[in-house]
Amino acid sequence: MRCEKVRLKIDAYVSGELPPRVIVAIEQHLKACDGCRQAAAVARRLIALGQALPTPPVPDGFAQRVQAMARQRIARPTPAASSWNLAAWWRLVPAPMHAAAAAVLVIGLAVGLVMGWTTLPTNQVPPAQATAQANPLDAYNLDYLGDAPSGSLADGYLALVSSPAQEGK
Amino acid sequence: MREVAEGDLDAFGQIVLRHQKLAWGIAYRFLGDQHEAEDIAQEAFLRILDAAPRYKPTAAFTTYLSRIVTRLCLDHAQKNRPLPIDSRPVVQDMNPSAAERMAVQDRDRAIRTALDRLPPAQRMAVVLRYFGGLDCRSVALAMDTTVKSVERLLARARDTLEPLLADHLKE
Repeated sequence: MRCEKVRLKIDAYVSGELPPRVIVAIEQHLKACDGCRQAAAVARRLIALGQALPTPPVPDGFAQRVQAMARQRIARPTPAASSWNLAAWWRLVPAPMHAAAAAVLVIGLAVGLVMGWTTLPTNQVPPAQATAQANPLDAYNLDYLGDAPSGSLADGYLALVSSPAQEGK
Repeated sequence: MREVAEGDLDAFGQIVLRHQKLAWGIAYRFLGDQHEAEDIAQEAFLRILDAAPRYKPTAAFTTYLSRIVTRLCLDHAQKNRPLPIDSRPVVQDMNPSAAERMAVQDRDRAIRTALDRLPPAQRMAVVLRYFGGLDCRSVALAMDTTVKSVERLLARARDTLEPLLADHLKE
C-alpha cells in the first residue's frame, strides 16, 4: 500500500472502521514508514483533543425559544410558503387558464412584432442629401451659375455637379 | 416525527430537548460564536418542523439533524467570514485552579484559531469527526458527500492542523 492511500485511510484505521485485510495492509506499511506513523499519531491525538474539549452548554431556554418560534410558525405560515410562487401557481391553475395565458402571450408577441415592423427605420437618406441628389442646383444654391457663359469654368463646374441628377431623372 | 407531522408541538419539544446538544455542539464548534450557533440550531429545528410531513426515516434521526445543521453552517460560512478570535467568548471550564483554567483557555483559543484557518468543508469534517466523534461514514452522510471525499478533507485538514496545534498534540 502506498503512502498516499494510507494517509487517506488513517482516520478510519485509528478508529477501527476498516475491514481486517485493509488493517493488516496498513499495519505492514506503518512498520516501514515513519511519515505515515506520524500521521496516524496525529489523527489519534486530534481525536483525543476533540474528546477532551469541554462541550459548551446549550444556552439557557434554548428549547423554550425554539418551541415559541414553532408555535408562531404554525399559527401563521412562513413568508417563504405564503409568498407568490410562479411555478406553484402554474401547477395549480386549471387547463383553460393555461390556454388563456398562452393566447395572451402569443397575441402580445404578435402585436409587438407588428408594431416593431411598422416603425422600423428605413434606409431613407436625410432630406438635404436627397435634395442634393435630386437637384444640386437647388440644394447648394448654385443657380447664380446658370448665367455663366458657355465654355467658362463656372459652366463646366455646373455641368459636372448637375449631370448625375440629370441622368437620374 | 409522525406526531410532529400531525402538528403535535409537545412531541416537537421532546425532539428539541433530546437533540439540542448535538445541533448546538456542531454549530458552535464550527462557527465559534454562541449567538450565531444558537440561530443555526434554532433554524435547524424549525426546518425539521416544516419538513416533518415529508420526513422518511431512511437514516438515524441524528444523521438527519446533523445533515441539516451541517448544511446551514456551510451556507452561513459561504455568506460570512469568521469572526475575529478576540471577539469570541471563551468557554468557561470548571477547573478549580486558575493556572489550569488559563491552560484550557489557551488550548481552546489555539484550536479555534487553527479551525478558522481551514476551508469550511475541511472545518466541518474535523468538527464532525474529531469533536463530534462521528465515524467517516456518518460524516459523509451528514455532509452529503462520499466517504472518499471525507477522507481527502480530513487528510488535508490534518496537514494544516499539525503544525498549528503542535504544542497541544504532544503526547
